[in-house]
Amino acid sequence: MNPLDVVDDSTHYHSRGTVSVPNLLTIIIDTNPRAWAALANVLPLSQAIATIFVYANSHLAFSDDHHVALLASHCNRAVWLYPEPPTPTKPPSEDVEMGDAGSGKPSQPAPSANKFHQFAKLEASVLRSVRSLIDNTTAADVASTTTTQIPGALTLALAFINKMHLAVMGGSGRRGISPPPDTEPAHKNHRRSRIAVRARILIISVSDSSAEQYIPTMNAVFAAAHSEIPIDTLSLRGSPTFLQQASHITRGNFINVLEPRGLLQYLMVGCASAGLTPDPNDNTASGNRARMKLGKQTPVPPQGGDGGDPLFAPRAESVDFRAACFCHGSVIDTGFVCSICLSIFCDIPDGGVCRTCGTKLALGNYGARPAVSAAAKGKEVQAEG
Amino acid sequence: MADSDGEYVEDMSDDDLVGHGVSQTVQSDYGTRSKAGRGAKRAGDGRLKPKSRWEDLRRSWEDVVETADGTLTIGELLEAEKRRRLLRDTTPLQRGIIRHLMLVLDMSFAMSEKDLLPSRYRLMLDYAVDFVREYYEQNPISQMGIVAMQDGIAVRISDISGDPVEHIEKLREWKEQQEPKGNPSLQNALEMCRASLFHAPSHGTREVLIIFGALLSNDPGDIDDTISSLIKDRIRVSVIGLSAQVAICAELCTRTNAGETSRYTIAMHEQHFRELFLAATMPPIARSAEQTRPSLLMMGFPSRMVTSADKMSLCACHHRPTREGYACTRCRTKVCRLPAECPVCSLTLVLSTHLARSYHHLFPLQTWVEVSWADAKSTACFACQAVFPKPPKSKTILLKGKGKQQAGGKPPPVEAKGASESGRYACQTCGSHFCIDCDIYCHQTVHNCPGCQGGSGGGETSGGHTNGVAMEIDS
Repeated sequence: MNPLDVVDDSTHYHSRGTVSVPNLLTIIIDTNPRAWAALANVLPLSQAIATIFVYANSHLAFSDDHHVALLASHCNRAVWLYPEPPTPTKPPSEDVEMGDAGSGKPSQPAPSANKFHQFAKLEASVLRSVRSLIDNTTAADVASTTTTQIPGALTLALAFINKMHLAVMGGSGRRGISPPPDTEPAHKNHRRSRIAVRARILIISVSDSSAEQYIPTMNAVFAAAHSEIPIDTLSLRGSPTFLQQASHITRGNFINVLEPRGLLQYLMVGCASAGLTPDPNDNTASGNRARMKLGKQTPVPPQGGDGGDPLFAPRAESVDFRAACFCHGSVIDTGFVCSICLSIFCDIPDGGVCRTCGTKLALGNYGARPAVSAAAKGKEVQAEG
Repeated sequence: MADSDGEYVEDMSDDDLVGHGVSQTVQSDYGTRSKAGRGAKRAGDGRLKPKSRWEDLRRSWEDVVETADGTLTIGELLEAEKRRRLLRDTTPLQRGIIRHLMLVLDMSFAMSEKDLLPSRYRLMLDYAVDFVREYYEQNPISQMGIVAMQDGIAVRISDISGDPVEHIEKLREWKEQQEPKGNPSLQNALEMCRASLFHAPSHGTREVLIIFGALLSNDPGDIDDTISSLIKDRIRVSVIGLSAQVAICAELCTRTNAGETSRYTIAMHEQHFRELFLAATMPPIARSAEQTRPSLLMMGFPSRMVTSADKMSLCACHHRPTREGYACTRCRTKVCRLPAECPVCSLTLVLSTHLARSYHHLFPLQTWVEVSWADAKSTACFACQAVFPKPPKSKTILLKGKGKQQAGGKPPPVEAKGASESGRYACQTCGSHFCIDCDIYCHQTVHNCPGCQGGSGGGETSGGHTNGVAMEIDS
């Protein structure tokens, strides 16, 4: 690590200043064109991206060890905005960070000498990527789907974080450099020494969750929870129910933005975190983040264990964990589950045959007759209480 | 030693253990002996003899390979080793998702041996804690209990339940307060497990996993009777041995698993032990011969409720005052932790996310295949953007692999075999290329293909089930 890192003011917050832990903020911007069109008179995409720059720069400015990655979750694909993937037409450059191989092009203005190099690089790369993303979006792409590729973007982000983790651990993904000597399965490493990279994912969401993305989204969310990567969600529009669950599972913040024009304030206060409370002794993911009361949610009084936090996040009081049945899509609180494929049904399927996997299911005691004993017990308790 | 060489490679790869996916061919490619000796012996004799353990030396300096640019590396071998773990069958099989497992830990005199460091006993208990965590993470709606074999009897460590915290607390207590002593008794332990699993519902699996360090069993009666009753109660037994093969364990596993021999494994070293132990967290493949009656389960999906600090109430499950909890959807009883069974009306209460956690077992991510230099057009990993090595200018430098298939005009291998010569691994659905780290991460942790989910392979990938949809029953 750079010895100068320990001199900057972030050591003020670190209790063990000599060990600098890289801090990676991954921002996933939902660039669903329909949704942004609907938001256009309140918050145009260009303004939102400018705001996100301010936020990303503020994160970078904390320390040399702070890194930023940006992804776009578009209507039909997920793409990297920063760092940019090396262009396949050119001979690949050795360093991924040097993705702006096109800087020699006349269209590319020379970076201003007055701007911090990191900021300029980020800005140029993201603007170029977003522009090409929008240019390559056809009307057919937009018409084909109303949703966005959140699971793909999350998976890309997780793979990137994992790679960085491995790199910091001493090995590297590059061939020829020996990976860490331990031969444990990769996912074990995370639990053991996740402190190697402090990563966080922020999703700026504008679309609704789509039911068909449930399984891949949840797979990605469980992987994030496994690696203790909190997923914060800032919902500008729509109702991303899966992301609400995601934030709850990974102990991230879910903030429903009531006034999209105040995006910067939501970002800076609600999600600004990384530099504010880096308590290395705090192993809980929630403890790593700043907390703040925002939106309509009820405040939670400070608890004893978290004394050091200046800001308190709203704990999502009511997370809707009710399931949608596979047969009618209606939300239920008591349902029937196939023991083979775990499909959820709101009533007993005809003849006891699972509608998903076709297995003949034994019905047990429910349904066939009223559950007398069980229901009676329940009522007693209710009467007593 | 003279006649033990050449055939060894074939011999071992034949009885490859399917259960934990060890591909011995990779290892024996480089691991065993100096090449000169092997070649000379192979010409002569045709007789073979099982090789002794001491002959199976691994000479790490032989692993070093000189790369194209003249640096030394063992990268490819490490890749092969990493990938070996991934190479398992990804056919979507019907699995017993709802499991009831009894973990039997040997706590007899044999466990104080120090051939596994720090000692068999401590290592086993450490790994058991990891096992419990991993088990509940992989199988959130399953149950387990723990039994110890000590002093010729079976001792209950923790009751069968769905709460990992309880098991881990008990294991920690045992680690601090108990020492291994006495003889183990397989029969007593199995009978206790049988009794514990007696009430397990018929739609779930009934499994026993035994960690067995001793070479003897001190039984009060005929263990064959016990095995017969285990079969009758459709309990499957797996054993992980720590010292040597024991005939009765092999018989026990084979008979209770319908002739499948791979359920009895012997740990060779600490790392192998851990691998075998944690492999048991994967839900077992459902056998059609087995009489699991699939059934429709009634479950409640309660929402979380939080009360203010002055209105705390006791939860029905632990009788502790809590602010937050989940109300049973049928009787409104408050439980503090999910998944749980309502203590009052015994409705199974889960979160929908618990069910979702098991879906990746049902729809496993397909194994990615190696990419030959001929197809290596990509410049960087699709997922993490790590830059791939450039294709070599000439083909001569590719000849470094020992007995590996040479690059050239061959069609890309359809079956994944090991490390890829170009460092790229391709998803067969979307065609994206990935690096080894992403390969492992996606298969072991995420269970998503970034390419398929990220929409790189054409337009119709928006559906979530790119991992495969059909389920088959292994018969």
